[in-house]
Amino acid sequence: MADIDKNMMEGDLQDRVIKNYTSDLGITETKIAKIPGITTQLGYTFKELEVSYQTLGKLSPQKDNVVLICHALSGDAHVAGINPVTGRPGWWDYHVGPNKAIDTNQFFVICSNVLGGCHGTTGPASINPLTGKPYAIDFPPISIRDMVAVQKNLLQYLGIDSIFAVIGGSMGGMQALVWAVDYPDKVKVCIPIATCMAHSPMQIAFNEVGRQAIISDPNWNGGRYDENKRPEHGLAVARMIGHITYLSEYAMHKKFGRNIQRDAKPEDLFPVFFSVESYLQHQGESFVKRFDPNSYLYITKALDMFDLLDNRPPYEVFKNVKSRFLIISFESDWLYPPSQSRELVKALKRSNVTVTYLNLETPYGHDSFLIRNEDFSRAVHNFLKKEYLRQSTAAKQTTLIKSKP
Amino acid sequence: MNPLIYDKVIEWIPQGARVLDLGTGDGAFLERLTKSKKIVGEGVEIDPELVTRCIERGLVVHQGNILDGLDQYGTEVFDYVLLLGTFQELIPLEHVMREAFRVGKRVIVSFSNFAHLKVRLQLLLHGRSPVTPALPEPWYKTHNLRFFSVLDFKDLCNTLGINEIDSAYFNSKGRVKFCPNLFCEEAVTLLELKK
Repeated sequence: MADIDKNMMEGDLQDRVIKNYTSDLGITETKIAKIPGITTQLGYTFKELEVSYQTLGKLSPQKDNVVLICHALSGDAHVAGINPVTGRPGWWDYHVGPNKAIDTNQFFVICSNVLGGCHGTTGPASINPLTGKPYAIDFPPISIRDMVAVQKNLLQYLGIDSIFAVIGGSMGGMQALVWAVDYPDKVKVCIPIATCMAHSPMQIAFNEVGRQAIISDPNWNGGRYDENKRPEHGLAVARMIGHITYLSEYAMHKKFGRNIQRDAKPEDLFPVFFSVESYLQHQGESFVKRFDPNSYLYITKALDMFDLLDNRPPYEVFKNVKSRFLIISFESDWLYPPSQSRELVKALKRSNVTVTYLNLETPYGHDSFLIRNEDFSRAVHNFLKKEYLRQSTAAKQTTLIKSKP
Repeated sequence: MNPLIYDKVIEWIPQGARVLDLGTGDGAFLERLTKSKKIVGEGVEIDPELVTRCIERGLVVHQGNILDGLDQYGTEVFDYVLLLGTFQELIPLEHVMREAFRVGKRVIVSFSNFAHLKVRLQLLLHGRSPVTPALPEPWYKTHNLRFFSVLDFKDLCNTLGINEIDSAYFNSKGRVKFCPNLFCEEAVTLLELKK
């Protein structure tokens, strides 16, 4: 338990100043590509899109070692290594790197910022070529499937036709699922983590509170806010609500207890300022510096609208799926509870898809996949290694059969 | 569990069969079966640490209890369903057996025989719940929730309309052929539904 608590105190790699953090990958860069656009599920056509992406490791000559990482709501393309501009580590640096869960010595890792995002990929804050001004709320509603379609175009741009594995947690897990369903011949291995086939009313409810916090901030201004006058307060509150749902009761007890952060100041309304309040305020404040409020609206709505089955029977949806799955959930995750993963596992298995399911007892809540987590790392690492070996052996056998006269 | 039981199971299972191993543990046996018989196998295991070890072996494994594990699969997707060493730990036994025969064509069960001579003597002479090499834990620690004999098991099979295709009986010295209900400590049996 000692290690578990240490990892929890350390937390994830987003929005925190980490002293003396070194990454085995050193400094890593993200690039921006101009790629052909898509027509969204709801019928809006982007002629061209900008996508920020990062690649790590080396592409094998057979191009058979691509691992696509899909980020969650607040992530970006900078998945691992140190960002040359901010000096901060990537959001998944604990799990991506040499000999880590996703081993960059073996795999060619690609991670891109999602459509609708605000870290280099076209989103509501980007300039609309038709008006020369930011899209803001003229940005079309987007879906998880649209995000995946953009990733597909990015891969094409990079000269990659099919991928070995797709992996992601939370919203990233939804994208991974779409990959396996929409491009069954292009994905060998699918690893959805702490995710679901469709948001429950509770998940939608939390997102709606976040959206309302942004919209009701006077600075939001009908969505057309000034760069110097953004609805930062609303976005910070949205992030605070989000953060509560990412933790667990145990994590909150351990991290904050009822600790008092500091002595009251004369201007304080109340005489007591708890550590947990301070933490949430800090999370909110750091988040607004790096996130666009409209992006938050569009992406959370895409999450809420996502429905993998869409009233179709699971067998219909999964009948063409060829990927082999590792599905991971966390016992303490009450935002994306294990029951949602189990529902997914059963739907897949009853459709004859090969699935390994692991429910880890790590007590960190939904954040379990973002923080240092040895059990999680070990499972992903070994699964990828074994499946890659299986793929390589199968490919060799096929070549042997073909080469026989 | 007696290692001869594993040998017997390997003998029964044909090359390339589809096998579901319920309570697969660290996957050592499923891996052995996969290598020796080229089976297409999957395991069910409740302990996340053991599931992780199965993943290290490259096995397909589902984390859950046995009934939950069975519930993941459609009808007759396996040729063989294995219940090795877990049978006396199961509570809804009839339900598990029905589910096992829904998911698989044949079921292999191994269990401890509570009518073994040593067990009978301990109960008769000492008047206390037996502790033997095959049943090493005292009554308050044992995982065994069911106390039954080879003959009891045959009765259950009759009740559920199950046919014993083949059985093998063992004690610490090896195979038992004569009067297994008295002399065997463990039994393994290959079952199918009566037509």
